Amino acid sequence: MPLIKIDDKEIEVEKGITVLQAAIDERIEIPYYCYHPALSIVGSCRMCLVEIEGMPKLQVSCNTTIGELPPERKKDGKYDMIVRTQTEIVKRERENVLEFLLLNHPLDCPVCDQAGECYLQDYSYKYGRAHSRFLEEKRVRKNEYLGSNVIINHNRCIMCTRCVRFTREISGTNELFVQARGDVSKISIFEDKSLDNMLAGNVIDICPVGALLSTDYIHKNRFWNLEAKKSICTDCSVGCNILVYSQNNRIYRLNARENHNVNGYFICDIGRYGFHRYEDAEKVTSPLIRSDGGFKPISWEGALKEIYEQFSMSMSGEKQQIVGIASPFHTNESLFMFGRLMNNIFKDKSIIGKLPFIEDYEIHFDSGFRISKDRSPNRKGLLDFCPNLEDEILQKVKAGEVRLCYALDDGVDRKLDEEWESFFKSQRFLVVQTYAMTPLAKLAHLILLGPSPMEREGTMTNDQGRIQWLNPSVSLTNKTRPDWEIIMEFMNTVGKRELKYTSVNEVNLEMGERFPDYRGRTFFKIGYQGLPKKNITTSRPSEGRQAIQ
Amino acid sequence: MDLIDFIIICIKVVLVFAATMLAVMGMIYAERRISAFIQNRLGPNRVGPKGLFQPLADGLKFLMKEDIIPTAVNKPLYLLAPAMLLIPALMTFAVIPFGSSLTLFGRQISLQVANINIGVLYILALTSVGVYGIVLAGWSSNSKYPLLGGLRSSAQLISYELSMGLAIVAIVLMTGSLRLNDIVSSQQGHLFSWYVFKQPLAFLIFLIAVYAETNRLPFDLAEAEQELVGGYHTEYSSMKFAMFFMAEYANMITAAAFTVTLFFGGWDIPFVDEAAMGNWGALLSGIAFILKTAFFLFLYIWVRWTFPRFRYDQLMNLGWKVMLPLALLNIFITGGILTIIS
Amino acid sequence: MATVVTSYEPTFWDKLYIPALFQGLMLTLKHMFKKKVTIQYPDEKHVPPEGYRGLHRLNKYPDGRIRCVACEMCAAACPAHCIHIVPGPSPWEEGKERYPVRFDIDLLRCIFCGFCEMACPEKAIELTEIYDFADYSREGLWIDKAGLLEIYELTKDKNFYDNSNEE
Repeated sequence: MPLIKIDDKEIEVEKGITVLQAAIDERIEIPYYCYHPALSIVGSCRMCLVEIEGMPKLQVSCNTTIGELPPERKKDGKYDMIVRTQTEIVKRERENVLEFLLLNHPLDCPVCDQAGECYLQDYSYKYGRAHSRFLEEKRVRKNEYLGSNVIINHNRCIMCTRCVRFTREISGTNELFVQARGDVSKISIFEDKSLDNMLAGNVIDICPVGALLSTDYIHKNRFWNLEAKKSICTDCSVGCNILVYSQNNRIYRLNARENHNVNGYFICDIGRYGFHRYEDAEKVTSPLIRSDGGFKPISWEGALKEIYEQFSMSMSGEKQQIVGIASPFHTNESLFMFGRLMNNIFKDKSIIGKLPFIEDYEIHFDSGFRISKDRSPNRKGLLDFCPNLEDEILQKVKAGEVRLCYALDDGVDRKLDEEWESFFKSQRFLVVQTYAMTPLAKLAHLILLGPSPMEREGTMTNDQGRIQWLNPSVSLTNKTRPDWEIIMEFMNTVGKRELKYTSVNEVNLEMGERFPDYRGRTFFKIGYQGLPKKNITTSRPSEGRQAIQ
Repeated sequence: MDLIDFIIICIKVVLVFAATMLAVMGMIYAERRISAFIQNRLGPNRVGPKGLFQPLADGLKFLMKEDIIPTAVNKPLYLLAPAMLLIPALMTFAVIPFGSSLTLFGRQISLQVANINIGVLYILALTSVGVYGIVLAGWSSNSKYPLLGGLRSSAQLISYELSMGLAIVAIVLMTGSLRLNDIVSSQQGHLFSWYVFKQPLAFLIFLIAVYAETNRLPFDLAEAEQELVGGYHTEYSSMKFAMFFMAEYANMITAAAFTVTLFFGGWDIPFVDEAAMGNWGALLSGIAFILKTAFFLFLYIWVRWTFPRFRYDQLMNLGWKVMLPLALLNIFITGGILTIIS
Repeated sequence: MATVVTSYEPTFWDKLYIPALFQGLMLTLKHMFKKKVTIQYPDEKHVPPEGYRGLHRLNKYPDGRIRCVACEMCAAACPAHCIHIVPGPSPWEEGKERYPVRFDIDLLRCIFCGFCEMACPEKAIELTEIYDFADYSREGLWIDKAGLLEIYELTKDKNFYDNSNEE
């Protein structure tokens, strides 16, 4: 193991890593633009120049690997390399590099969407020289569309080529390239191939300046107004880690969050722009009851009373007369409560079914990034907590007469085919727990108002068996109650139980008690990176390198 | 005394009352305008010509305001207090001669409501009754600031009434009568027969004491806004508050008239024999009296907006340690000189 | 060595206070005849000096474009959080690509500190000399973009209260 010294810090590092990586691992700040842990190294921005003893010129730390010296050549008798990041010459060079990077930069931070999270701003403030000696006309170019969701502002671009390398190495689609040389060079696309792959949105994330812009977010808000919540994506069973940016309970954008066990550094565009589906949906604002062909609002007390009247009679009736329709879109906690309701209270009076899983094409990228075929986020959890799930519910039900149905709605993604529609129509009383007027909700006799995916809280189990925390990114609207709480009230009302969970964490604890796979998988244990289920021993090891940016 | 005499007295009472109330209104206006002028402002100038109807508007406002009687007050005394203050203030004017005598239809009518032989005592007695109004208002309000105001007022009055009385004693010694008419007539003739020249020290003491007596600045400790919110009338509102207000000004008018009568020859115009000029003389003397009184009223306002308020201990020191010995000294000197002359 | 502080020793005449009292009375008497400073407000209006911080306005370029680029610097600087901006793409070909779709100021919250003016990189928001904008409703004191631009038209050429050009 080579021993190096960066400034005053002695560090023992792996052989072959770069100085910049060593510095980042030790939280020593070296400014950089073009380096990205997931991408190959080009050393084009020259921002990470450091002084290395024994080398005549400053070196780019991102592309200087650390090796081992023979004992007689070690610096100061023991170091394999001595790096200085804070000397006068390094500081002066940073100033000069920044002055060059800003030569053609329009300095239009007030209209730039990157302002506030822009490394050009941060480093200029920290290392820059505050004024430019460049008196000539700046090069001005018009904005261009690179793809349907990405705009490039050439003036702000510093040619770090992170985006070019991304399309080459991660998405493997090669749309972007650097056109021309010198000061006329620019990021460009071929005429017949626009930047429209499933990962295109990530180039906006990795752009260290405001050059690549999302059409979805451009001129919408300022970064400092937004509140970032660490959550997970619920658009497929991979469960990518995301940051949800919102202001005043309105979501403005989603960004990828690093998690090397799940998604690495990136997310797909399905998840990135998926949150608009919930904005467009016709929302339910209160529990509703069917009356005269339409719906009218009802209080929660009224809704529970209705449930009691309908369901408590059936407790002593014939077998399998209550159908529970579970949903893989719900959290483990609500599915656990749902399973308890069906198996422990209705017992053999009930039968649990599900709608067919939503499946789509599976996408694999060479870099290892994948979009799962299974587009429901919690199929694993559903199968865990409702083990007696009846796959062929339609056949079963046709055989036996079923009168009551309690369905957890999948949400806005669910389309009903005729078979299922007639199945739901044939129910004597259909209770649907949902947040939007989905086709299923339209058939209901009673709609219970649950949270939307952005309001839900609890754990999700992805297709690798990893339990991750779904953090609510917007707060519950006034009459909405958490899914687990609605089911708890259901149990208390119909089953005469006295359950008094006050938060999802208590349900989570109870769930761990009953399902050994989930024992100890509490919020504080799993954190924001998730943990695998207890019985899974082999999970992908953490590979990637940390990035400060 | 026949019926006509009675009618004449009634008319005089009504006239004096009306004049006093009018003067009160004039004073309220003058106070606000002059204070504004002293502070380089304009003062009320919107209601009527030059803002002359401002006191009327104020009065109207007072009438229309909600009359609040706090729950904790001693109700009978609380209601009585404003009247206790206002009525003596108005009654005092009865004995003050405001002109020489008028001859109408062969009847000689003296310009004075009541010519009683103990006029000075009457005035001193009534001003002392007035303080009951303040003390009662302070006590019956059942609130700490009014109570403090009332206490201060009574202590202050005791201290200053003494000096005032002693100052007057010197005048009475020289006149030999308590009748105000006698005091006025003893000052007739040339200018230096006015007692202000014969008794300058008594005048000074009297003037200061009279400011304290009427609770005017710099002696308005009873209603010191900065310390006591509003003093004895903190808990009063609407017309009852206006009565305190009017009483204060009525008191000032009476005090000014009294000062004029004692020290400035009353209605006397120096070097002029009013009696010889008949009714014109009476008119002139009335005007002279009004002008003199007006000057002292102006002095009241002028002083108020010039000097700051005394501290309580300063007030007591001045009253007991300075004014009382001086007043006594004055009596000794006066008495000594009078003895020597006679 | 200690410093000897000699204070003024009052003479007998001083201790008598009467001359001082007369001095005071003369001073107030003098002021009674001085020129009055009152400005009779609804009839005559105080003309605020340059730099007075009154009602806000949104400036325009001579060709009619709004200077504001909706960068929300003013909103960020505002200690009262009274500025509410909804940005959007600019409708004009030239100039900056961003502009305020909505620009609302809650005047009831505003403390007229002028930080917005200082923060503005485009000299778009400015405080004018207008001080009398009372209203009977809260809604009336919520000024929007149209209102701010109207104020610009009122105040761009001359002091709002200066009537010397008219007559």
